Amino acid sequence: MKLVTSSVAFILASTSAFAGGHASQEAVLANYANIAEAKYADSLATAKVLQAAVATLADKPSAENLEAAKKAWLAARVPYQQTEVFRFGNAIVDDWEGKVNAWPLDEGLIDYVDAAYGGATDENAVAVLNVIANPMFELGGTTVDATMITPALLEETLQEADGVEANVATGYHAIEFLLWGQDLNGHGAGAGARPWTDYAAGDDCTGGNCDRRAEYLIAATDLLVSDLDWMVAQWAEAGAARAELLADQNAGIVAMLTGMGSLSYGEQAGERMRLGLMLNDPEEEHDCFSDNTHNSHYYDGLGVQNVYFGAYTRIDGTVVSGPSLSNLVMAKDAALDAEMKGKLFTTMKALGAIKTAAEAGFAYDQMLERGNDAGEALVMGGVTGLIDQTKTIERVVTALELENIAFEGSDSLDNPTAVFN
Amino acid sequence: MLRKVSIALICMAHSAMADQAIVGRFLDEHALPAFDQLDRSAANLAEVSATHCDGQSPELLAAYGQAFDAWVGVSHIRVGPSEEEDRAFALAFWPDTKGFTAKSLNALIKAADPVVYEPEGFASISIAARGFYALEFLLFDAGLQDAETATYRCDLVRAIAHEIHQNAAAIKWGWQGYQDVLRVPSADGPYKDDTEALREVFKALHTGLQFTSDARLGRPLGTFERPRPRRAEAWRSERSARHVQLALVASYELALMLAADEPLITQSLQAAYDRTIELVEQIDDPAFAGVADPSGRFRVEVLRQAVDRIREIVTLELAPALGVTAGFNSLDGD
Repeated sequence: MKLVTSSVAFILASTSAFAGGHASQEAVLANYANIAEAKYADSLATAKVLQAAVATLADKPSAENLEAAKKAWLAARVPYQQTEVFRFGNAIVDDWEGKVNAWPLDEGLIDYVDAAYGGATDENAVAVLNVIANPMFELGGTTVDATMITPALLEETLQEADGVEANVATGYHAIEFLLWGQDLNGHGAGAGARPWTDYAAGDDCTGGNCDRRAEYLIAATDLLVSDLDWMVAQWAEAGAARAELLADQNAGIVAMLTGMGSLSYGEQAGERMRLGLMLNDPEEEHDCFSDNTHNSHYYDGLGVQNVYFGAYTRIDGTVVSGPSLSNLVMAKDAALDAEMKGKLFTTMKALGAIKTAAEAGFAYDQMLERGNDAGEALVMGGVTGLIDQTKTIERVVTALELENIAFEGSDSLDNPTAVFN
Repeated sequence: MLRKVSIALICMAHSAMADQAIVGRFLDEHALPAFDQLDRSAANLAEVSATHCDGQSPELLAAYGQAFDAWVGVSHIRVGPSEEEDRAFALAFWPDTKGFTAKSLNALIKAADPVVYEPEGFASISIAARGFYALEFLLFDAGLQDAETATYRCDLVRAIAHEIHQNAAAIKWGWQGYQDVLRVPSADGPYKDDTEALREVFKALHTGLQFTSDARLGRPLGTFERPRPRRAEAWRSERSARHVQLALVASYELALMLAADEPLITQSLQAAYDRTIELVEQIDDPAFAGVADPSGRFRVEVLRQAVDRIREIVTLELAPALGVTAGFNSLDGD
């Protein structure tokens, strides 16, 4: 809770500098792009720390080195989750995002799984392929040589193998699985408990093929670093994502709001939170191996909030801030700006309550259990806040007179740019 | 020509009185009667299941079919009472991309979970094991027809049918109050003014068409290289094409209400809907199994293009004429 209140104070202070209402759309967009660049740069920096920790683990497998790699993964999620708000409005981010953060996954594609996981399904013929144990296998009628586990194999052959989205071979969640393993505690407390000996050499090796497992982990982490590196460049001064955003100012503002609304409602409130609750499935949590879902949700919400306020606190504590959407809305309709701020705070308070409870020992997967009313109330608090703030985001679109701009709710029409105005 | 006309209409701005009239017709002639029908047919399903719980029973299958038809007729109205208490989610959990329905039903049957004898407890189990799609799996999946479990499955059929009715009834009664929220918007309600209420109605049309295109047709189509007939909606009971047809008929009715003050848009909607419904009626492939061969696939593709043509009119002509945008919906995301 402390975190929430302190960020409230900070944001109020930072926006007041621009409260005169003179923020131009151009300045708001530039600040948004600067924040995107800073968030991806922070994601890259923390991914490099993870890369080093993974190298140490592969080199000198030990319980301590596995824990160090897990810690590095958790830290890397903090800035990355705050970038998710850039996804839906910016095609460059959306087209790329599946490589780094695809979820949910049929993890049996990658490594050994518990018998209860089941086998191939109607939807996915390679749900239990287990690449780590199988250097040669059939995939969609062709033989694949996976003797060497390389970034190229992961990216070009395994990712979305057989056209199935649940075949996630790359990104944060594949790495998460390789570090934590399956969470077999059901609705009980506790994350995945992969033994460090899954990376041990010789006879100490558990789970089989420890060298190939390390090879996979290194390849996946290298790929994550290179993918993030690419995305940082897209938001740099001459980057394509920045250029596209600034090409048409009205469309750029719409992109900002589209990201906020689509992440809040369809993605986070629906797919990630409410669905898991309604399915009572402990694996339907976003960071299911590491039990880090409470943070994942919290930082997603924070990402939405800091787009509106135009301010982001970097991993080194410095702040990137400037003219914001809030300034634009305030100039048009101060009451609506207050409404938007109020709803964003309400959501963060609710997401903060989930985080607080989880950190105190009430794990997110326990909250999803059938008949757990307190857990349901916590999660639904977040869902309600997110849905409610989406309504106000729609009002902001109206207030800023953006209604006749191509408003691509999602992949609604093949040719959304055809909207005339 | 058409475009110029609708631009002129935007400038005039749709009047609040006209907005109110559309919302009123949506309620009185579209939503409320359809939720009544859902409630009645679900009540009948629950009643029939008390005496016929065998998947081969023609009485049960007929009652099931009628109730499922009624659901498809309201499946685009995802607002208010449908969303409270997860009712609509519990009635219709689909698409099921990770096989949750099979998994949850198998777990219940394997354990002979007594939760089926506690209506309140049953209403809190996974949505994947409740509602029309779970019932379809239970009645039609070949892998589940083991004689040993017949008695338990029978009780499970009854529990699901009973809960479908409970939800349908709760939604119907919920609309008795919620209709006023839409009819009389207020500054502190979910809809501040008539335009916001109208946008909600428009969203039902827009999101429903998107669902028909992306999920009902797009999922089985997959890609040309990798068609996915097993991803068709309700393929086990061969209701896939029927659902597209029923959804289009309901959508057509709503579209004409929204376009009532726009004769030119009405004309193009009529042409587009008539053609699309004709196309779906010509498809002699109830489960879309034919998407796997080129000629069968072509028909479903043409149908999807026709649905997308309707969506184009709705987004590019109707929305500006009404002065609304689709905004966000639950299908956003990935």
